[in-house]
Amino acid sequence: MNNIAQNNTQKRDVLVNSTTVIETKMLCRHFGQGDTLVNALTDANLTINKGEFTTIIGPSGSGKSTLLQLIGGLDTPTSGEVLLDNKHISQMTGTELSDFRRDHIGFIFQAYNLIPVLSAKENIEYIMLLQGISAQERAKRVSAIMHDVGLEGLENRRPAQLSGGQQQRVAVARAMVSEPSIILADEPTANLDSKTGIELLDMMKTLNEEQKMTFVFSTHDPKIMERAKRIIRLEDGCIVDDECFS
Amino acid sequence: MKINNASYDENKTTGIVVRLANRSIFRNTRRTLLTVLLISCSLVAILFTDAFVRGMVSTMVKISTQTFLGEAQVHQQGFRATNDIDLYIEDTHTLFSKIAETEAIQAYAPRVISGAMTSSSDNVAAAIIYGVDSDKEAQVSKLKQAMVDGQYLSGKESEILLGQRLAELLEVSLGDRLVVTVSQAHGGDLSQALFRVSGIFSFNERNMDNGMAFINLSQAQELLSINGVHEIALRLQNLNQADDKTLLFWQALNNEKLETLAWQDLVPQLSSMLAMTEYSTLIVSTILYVLVCLGLINTMFMSIFERQTEFGILLAIGTRPKQLFIQILLEGFFIGLLSIVLGVILAFIVCYWGSITGIDYTDLEMTGLTLNEPIYLILDTMSFIKMAFATLLVTILACIYPAVHAAKLQPSFAMRKTL
Ligand SMILES: Nc1ncnc2c1ncn2[C@@H]1O[C@H](COP(=O)(O)OP(=O)(O)OP(=O)(O)O)[C@@H](O)[C@H]1O
Ligand SMILES: [Mg+2]
Repeated sequence: MNNIAQNNTQKRDVLVNSTTVIETKMLCRHFGQGDTLVNALTDANLTINKGEFTTIIGPSGSGKSTLLQLIGGLDTPTSGEVLLDNKHISQMTGTELSDFRRDHIGFIFQAYNLIPVLSAKENIEYIMLLQGISAQERAKRVSAIMHDVGLEGLENRRPAQLSGGQQQRVAVARAMVSEPSIILADEPTANLDSKTGIELLDMMKTLNEEQKMTFVFSTHDPKIMERAKRIIRLEDGCIVDDECFS
Repeated sequence: MKINNASYDENKTTGIVVRLANRSIFRNTRRTLLTVLLISCSLVAILFTDAFVRGMVSTMVKISTQTFLGEAQVHQQGFRATNDIDLYIEDTHTLFSKIAETEAIQAYAPRVISGAMTSSSDNVAAAIIYGVDSDKEAQVSKLKQAMVDGQYLSGKESEILLGQRLAELLEVSLGDRLVVTVSQAHGGDLSQALFRVSGIFSFNERNMDNGMAFINLSQAQELLSINGVHEIALRLQNLNQADDKTLLFWQALNNEKLETLAWQDLVPQLSSMLAMTEYSTLIVSTILYVLVCLGLINTMFMSIFERQTEFGILLAIGTRPKQLFIQILLEGFFIGLLSIVLGVILAFIVCYWGSITGIDYTDLEMTGLTLNEPIYLILDTMSFIKMAFATLLVTILACIYPAVHAAKLQPSFAMRKTL
């Protein structure tokens, strides 16, 4: 899985065919008003290209979750704009936005990602069911992704019967299986021990490289940061640094 | 990237929504069972009330019609309004044979009715004297069964049956002499006759035991010097025929001379009271449905708050709010379905038991009517079906509010815990 030569070719591909998937323009999000006003995010301008593996870092309360939620259309900005695949998400109605998220965005959260009453396989299948993908195609994709994330044999377990790391793998599989343009992950490793966290991240990175999927995730963990190809640093709601590594 | 909007088919999501709803209600089994129990007990209470009211109505109608009234009565036009003894039915011979030929009429009892003064050696009292045909009367009313002392009428001269309280008032007992004074028809000359107390009856009904006396029909006609009867009480083949005014005999027995009325019109107080009693099912069910609604709204909100994160995830990954709304309604539907199955079974057991053993209200007097037999519950299939559906509807309706709440959740807010 960790074929360095292959990685390098793909990295070059990404840089050559760079198409913008995420663009934010003067994005602001304020909470409360008057004395309790919090500028969770101020004038964030950001462009993320297809196939990038980007991490957002910053101290607690710096606005990482807020930024990811705005990008994913889970929250409405106070001002500014989010463009996903060149579409203004603020102009979408409720159902349009739901369908857009279903078809274009994969989400991985810190914990409790999975629907407790559905088995691992059903959790992974869920979005494809909403998309109306045929049973045959679903079965094919589920078994392929279960293999990719190393969860073969655990298909019929409920989330409660899986370890934290296994649950997060299911979450990654669910986010990827519907082939979205972007995967947004808010501290996906925060609830895992660092070894498991790094394993999860390496797996995400491999999938990013093999399938050219765009990943944006936030983290606190320096070991995780090292693995990113681009680091965006937030402080008090402002983007203070944006570095790329090749 | 793949856009599947074109192939998106709502029907394909039905399966997963049903699966989610179905599994969700069994996640907190205890809460679901308690809710199901609340709803099914309410349904039992509603169905029990309904069966009880039906039983009570039927018992009361049965008591009031079978004791003395009959299910219908024939009078000369105007008699009921005036109680004028001149207004008697004259051509009894043809009328009786007409009645006897009518299939819907099982039995009839001709009666002569007059206010009278009864005097014993100790006391005097006003009473209503009924002249009855002893055999025919026994087929229509419970007079024969109501005898507590002495003999029922046999047709012999100077027999008189007194109500128990009337006998006490007059201080007479069996065999004592009694003078009855009436004013005759057509002119009003006083007429007197001597009787010997041959029997004492008690209908367990104050007014009747206080002021009624029975003598033989022929002697009453002689005393009043009339050659007819004032009243013909009818016993119908079945009670429903009293309602069915399309039956031919109603027309045949109602003309410019005769007036024939069913029990509902003879004792309008009774039928209006029964109508009110029927409201009690409505009142009980309304109260219980409101309670069911509140209980269910509370449960559903508890369950939604517990699952807020989960709903946030569902919405975040592309579930349409409408689907979440439907899921909550479906959960309500499943809970309702379980409840009505359990409720109907329990209600059937309880009501069936009540229909066999009866509920004893003996001696409780309601608007002058003594319930002197137990109330047997009456199970009505239609009410079971109607009330079960109403309950199901109520549970689904009660879920609309929590469902709207769930559908309106902002995913970022719903997931604050995890983000
Ligand atoms: N719903 C809200 N109401 C009020 N303030 C909020 C709300 N959500 C976030 N904030 C505030 O916005 C700021 C940014 O929050 P955010 O959750 O984005 O930080 P974060 O970088 O994700 O922090 P952490 O690393 O702890 O997850 C914080 O000061 C927070 O208190
Ligand atoms: Mg955060």
